[in-house]
Amino acid sequence: MATTTASLTLTSTDLFDDSLSLSNTSTLHKAGTTIGLDQTTGLTKTYVTATTQFDPFPVVKGTTNAGENGRVYIANLSEDETEYIIVTIGDLVIGRLYAGDFMWMPWSPKAQHVNDIEITPSVATGMWVEFMAIHNFANIYPDSDDS
Amino acid sequence: MATINATLSVSSSDLSSNTLSLSKTMTMTKAGTNTGLEFSSGLIRRKLTATTEIDLIPTGAQVYGTPQASDVTAGAAGKLYIKNTGSSSTDYISVGLGDATTPNELNDGTSKITLGHLYGGEWMLIPYHGKADVGDVLVAPSTAETTTVEWILFFE
Repeated sequence: MATTTASLTLTSTDLFDDSLSLSNTSTLHKAGTTIGLDQTTGLTKTYVTATTQFDPFPVVKGTTNAGENGRVYIANLSEDETEYIIVTIGDLVIGRLYAGDFMWMPWSPKAQHVNDIEITPSVATGMWVEFMAIHNFANIYPDSDDS
Repeated sequence: MATINATLSVSSSDLSSNTLSLSKTMTMTKAGTNTGLEFSSGLIRRKLTATTEIDLIPTGAQVYGTPQASDVTAGAAGKLYIKNTGSSSTDYISVGLGDATTPNELNDGTSKITLGHLYGGEWMLIPYHGKADVGDVLVAPSTAETTTVEWILFFE
């Protein structure tokens, strides 16, 4: 097993009349256990030059993944505030990550072609995008099928 | 406008043969600008005592401080934080997105899809668009024992 920790701080001194200061740390475990997640896609940084949707985390072959757990990190590294990526799961839009934005979410793949996580850049002029999954899936990339 | 910062740190010395040390900070801005988001639901805390799926943040209706459907545009750059405040390693909340009134796990862009599970102490931060009909945020506890969920929505 491995020990992987994730921390998040949210701060603002002027959103409310009082300061916002929120901090959390969690250790990433396999589903229903205290055993650490032990696999990762690695941190990938890629330069995308088309507005074509791509699939950084193809869903695992098979249909049952109940005992599996994962976390997904995606960041838009662009410095142009007008550029964004649309992040979808299956065909459902989660939202847009504008320049500098990141997301961190749980991911429990259900079945092939159902909840793949996909990214669509807003421009074809080139954007840096970063992503990583930490998981205990049986057969994630490259032994997986694209949607 | 306000300045809202979020910093994510992910680290491990033994997940792979090289140490993982990731740190990323973002300032939450309005879509396509450098102007900070200026609204928030505030930190909301709810206790759930059934395994029934609830529409934590319904679109089209203003609950707590969330935006009305008419306030939401396709380019909205909102951010949503959710935490399971429990400590159980076996009980979780299932978090999904989509249309609360439709069947689950249909890959048709109009249904609802489960993102994943948050066990005790776990949290998430994702973008939020709040688009009517497909922007509901859904939560279902795995147990009927009391489960406490906290969330904050930041929006334009």
